[in-house]
Amino acid sequence: MRPPRSFRPAPDSPRLAILHRSDRTELWTETVGQEPPVYGERWTESDGRPYRSFEPARSKLSAAIVKEWSGPVPAPGEGWLYLGAASGTTASHVADLVGPTGRVYAVERSLRPFSRLLTLAERWPNLLPILGDARDPAAYGALVPPVQGVYADIAQADQVEIVLSNAAFYLEGNGGYVLLALKTASMGRDATAVQHVRRAEEELAQFLDLEPSVRLDPFYRGHYFLGGTVRPGRLGPVEPTASPPPRERSRERRRR
Amino acid sequence: MGTAVVVAEGPRIDLVDLSALGAPEAFLLDRDVLRAAERLIDLRPADLPPGLIETIVRLPPAARVVAGDASLARALTIRAGRSVPRASPEELRAARAIAWRAPSREERPFTLALARLTLERALRSPEEVLISLAREEERLERALGREERAAAAFLPVAGTPLAEYRAAWEATRETLRAHHAGLEELLEHSARTLVPNLSEVLGEKVAARLVAAAGGLPPLGRMSASRLQLLGTRRRPSPERGPRFGIIYRAVRMEEVPVPRRGAYARSLAALGVIAARADATTGRPLAAVLVGRRDRRVEALRRRKR
Repeated sequence: MRPPRSFRPAPDSPRLAILHRSDRTELWTETVGQEPPVYGERWTESDGRPYRSFEPARSKLSAAIVKEWSGPVPAPGEGWLYLGAASGTTASHVADLVGPTGRVYAVERSLRPFSRLLTLAERWPNLLPILGDARDPAAYGALVPPVQGVYADIAQADQVEIVLSNAAFYLEGNGGYVLLALKTASMGRDATAVQHVRRAEEELAQFLDLEPSVRLDPFYRGHYFLGGTVRPGRLGPVEPTASPPPRERSRERRRR
Repeated sequence: MGTAVVVAEGPRIDLVDLSALGAPEAFLLDRDVLRAAERLIDLRPADLPPGLIETIVRLPPAARVVAGDASLARALTIRAGRSVPRASPEELRAARAIAWRAPSREERPFTLALARLTLERALRSPEEVLISLAREEERLERALGREERAAAAFLPVAGTPLAEYRAAWEATRETLRAHHAGLEELLEHSARTLVPNLSEVLGEKVAARLVAAAGGLPPLGRMSASRLQLLGTRRRPSPERGPRFGIIYRAVRMEEVPVPRRGAYARSLAALGVIAARADATTGRPLAAVLVGRRDRRVEALRRRKR
């Protein structure tokens, strides 16, 4: 693979390069980390600066940008709270986007992915791993300062509530960004994917100026990318949810 | 003096005066980030910085002192000799806005130390040890199977370098087998202590794999028999033709049951296994003798019955 000759930065996120090729869109992020690759992505150099390919098949944020997400994207110098970081595939790219002056606080609950995230964080100087449950935002309050954005990729039935309670707790002042990769398959079978997205949008629209949602097909089945800018003064403190609400199950047997 | 909020900020503990809105008073938990992280994980009253206690004791009785989280509130109530409740969300939000400044130099080493400590602590519990062992044993079993199949199909041609390679390969597999046997023994011991009933009813290895697939003993104890039967399947269940076995296919005495009756045996085993798992997850009462009796009667019945 021939490395791209020169990268032109994206207007709203200068550490992101978007290359429109004839058959596909390629994304690259100017990296702050050290090799080896995190998940087998390509590394290259452009004008003496190291870049990593940001694969839409491996990351919902990348897929959203490829599918022309018009909303906010992490930018240099910002602090982001990343919920559901798993082993850090996307979190490492968010850390690349915020650059050496920004910070990414990556929260993950399950132990084995977290151990991979921890080894990754040792060679990513602005990535801070936190072992904790996003359902209880106050639990990691000692480690996370007020931030400019909350990114969430948590496949839970109450993912919208979890994001909002974290945003209320951690977003700085009266503003900030919320990005959510919504997995509709985790939200129960009592509604179709589109109905789930509409509900999530309605819930988020009480607090955010929403950007048009993006459907992540063909990269991710049943996933949508939602988010926007917090409307000033709308996001009051939300009580943390102690336990997940009982899942609504349809009594009706699924028919084919 | 109105309300003072005590919040933890990395390796230090801040006292924020909400009425004066001045800079917070900061007290370091420990000079060494690793020891500071250890202290924050389970905050004992004795670990609180002495300066903080003195400051709180000196506050007028009319002043309200609240704490950012439960463990801080508990420790302060004991040490300061006055009631320190948890802060309300509004108070916490206001205090955090004042207390947090630019990221300090200790932020990164402290967060990494805390992450490492909490992870190690969590992985050290008997349950997580069993899950790690079960995963490792399964990985090794698969690798060993691959090697054995390749060895069976290997045809060395005399005079080629690979002919001499065969002995070395055999030795490597022998080491792998010994390693696997040792791991199995560890796994079985670990399963017998953590899930004695389930190990007795289904076999140690299957019990361990079920715990690993469920993600722990409490989730396994909450599971229905129909889910336990299908743990570890790749296909998705469907009313017409779904999978009948997951991990349970390797359970004890499965091979004694005629093939057409194995689905029925899997159902019965799952029902018995769920009872055993619930006992192990909750009271720990020894139920295995009863369950094993029922399992064995079921095997006999299935063997006698015509298809």
